[in-house]
Amino acid sequence: MNPRTRHALEFALDNLVWFMLVFVLVVFSIFIPNYFQLGIFANIIEASSVLGVMSIGLALVIITGHMDLSVESVAALGAMAVGILFCSAGIGLGVQLHPEWLMVPVSLLLALIVGGIIGVINGYLVVKVKMSAFIITLASYIWVRGLVLVISGGRSAQDLAPAIRWFGIQRLLGLPLTAWIAISCFVVFSLIMAKTPFGRHLVMIGGNETATFRAGIRVNRNLVIAFVLAGAIAGLAGWLLAIRTSGATANLGVGLLFNAFAAVVIGGVSLKGGVGTLPGVYAGVLLLSAINTAINLMGLPANFTQVIHGMLVLAAVLLDAFKQTIRQRLA
Amino acid sequence: MSGAQPGMIGTQPGMSEPLLVLDNVTKNYGAIEALKGISFSIGKGEVVALLGDNGAGKSTLVKIIAGGLEPTSGRMLFEGKEFLAKSPAEAKAAGIETVYQDLSLCTNVDVVANFFMGREITRKFLGVPVLDEPAMEQVVKKALTSAGTRIPSLRTNVEHLSGGQRQAIELNRFVHFGGKLVLLDEPFAALGVEQTRRGLDMIRQVASQGIGVVIITHIMQQAFQVADRIVVIRQGVVAGDVARNKTSPDAVINMITGETLAGAGPAG
Repeated sequence: MNPRTRHALEFALDNLVWFMLVFVLVVFSIFIPNYFQLGIFANIIEASSVLGVMSIGLALVIITGHMDLSVESVAALGAMAVGILFCSAGIGLGVQLHPEWLMVPVSLLLALIVGGIIGVINGYLVVKVKMSAFIITLASYIWVRGLVLVISGGRSAQDLAPAIRWFGIQRLLGLPLTAWIAISCFVVFSLIMAKTPFGRHLVMIGGNETATFRAGIRVNRNLVIAFVLAGAIAGLAGWLLAIRTSGATANLGVGLLFNAFAAVVIGGVSLKGGVGTLPGVYAGVLLLSAINTAINLMGLPANFTQVIHGMLVLAAVLLDAFKQTIRQRLA
Repeated sequence: MSGAQPGMIGTQPGMSEPLLVLDNVTKNYGAIEALKGISFSIGKGEVVALLGDNGAGKSTLVKIIAGGLEPTSGRMLFEGKEFLAKSPAEAKAAGIETVYQDLSLCTNVDVVANFFMGREITRKFLGVPVLDEPAMEQVVKKALTSAGTRIPSLRTNVEHLSGGQRQAIELNRFVHFGGKLVLLDEPFAALGVEQTRRGLDMIRQVASQGIGVVIITHIMQQAFQVADRIVVIRQGVVAGDVARNKTSPDAVINMITGETLAGAGPAG
């Protein structure tokens, strides 16, 4: 095989999920009436912002060879914390700050810190107690959701302060600012993963933890940072969720974890760690969102989405195995 | 001269001051004594071959020096100062490079990333350290070419490379970064004849720069080809510490299997 075809093939394999996304969009545009509209495409991006942000944190931890099942509950906790403080109806306390815009950084910081704290706990237990991240974050998934129920008493907060909600209403180039926040998160974290020593170290830790330890990389420190980032990013996802629903309910975001997992796997991240890129994850998120939109437009019952998502995850895993075989042939 | 008299430690003729001195280093795993008290030294620019049967404690010793394991008791002097590496990072910072028996490469990233693992070249962009890929690739290309190692593309992931190519990356890595002391734990296990010869040359070349080298090997011939001194470990103690030109393979084999008394030294 000459080097050029080989390069082309490797490029195709690395970006397979983008090709799938384009393919799906083209097919839907041709066969589903009214699908091909700028408004629809904007809606696909907009609808995927919360899921997208959450997937970044999950992907970071999976790439280092670990797992964070708590992101969904952490997002709900972040949203509830913001909701209780800055909502004026329901269980909201209606805290007012002057000037009003001050509520934006304060609420955002609150969500990030709440998420970060859960991340510290997860990371510390994984690194120091050396227990499986799967079990520790499964526990967090349960107790953090429980905490949301406890602090809300099962009730909800409504009417988020307009200064914060502004992010979900104000549009730039046809997209609400919340969508731009998600996009910038993908850009920033993609750059961190691809261009900085920290990102490189996370990928290498996912590949061979012993080797990185022997090479003098501070593995434990990096792992804790990854968990804190995942928690803080989940907090950010919660902040976006609160804006989107203009408040918070006790069962906010239930089921998002599985969609995030689906997006990460479809995006080409290997659950074994060390493999995967964030642009791929974003394509996975958009792919899920594009399919949801198609189901809505076709007027299919929403229950179909779950069946299709499940099949997509299965297809993604099979595809991953298939890619492995091709790569081995290439070598 | 008789190998392992206490007064002789680190003072062999023709050798400069000792680089690393081990003084009665022990390691217990529960009730099992892996090392019962190891004492020997390595000089600057000296190549020491560490020999011993399986389970004699060679790899344990290397891990203790390299910061992967903490000794149960005993002390080490590195460049005349008390030394104990609590992590490989500390050992590396002190100038100790290690090539382990089971390869320490991340197969999911490319050759360049592996070569610079943990000490990437960066430049600042808006105050943030950013990987300087062209600079790193340049260095790796130069290092591999000068060592005569051929790898089709430095940007292929290591998982696609052969065992020999992988080992070559590790060997070239220590030659490039050098440090003050290099520990090699069976470095040639996956290498062919020609690559092994080149690897042995590399070791001599590294030693000639004043770097101390400890090489663990099972192959007597390699030990005699490259080492200045041969240290034999048996059942957790030093069973022999002799200059290469004062001993013979048969004598060393006897030390390894325990047919002469501990520290009995050369047979000729």
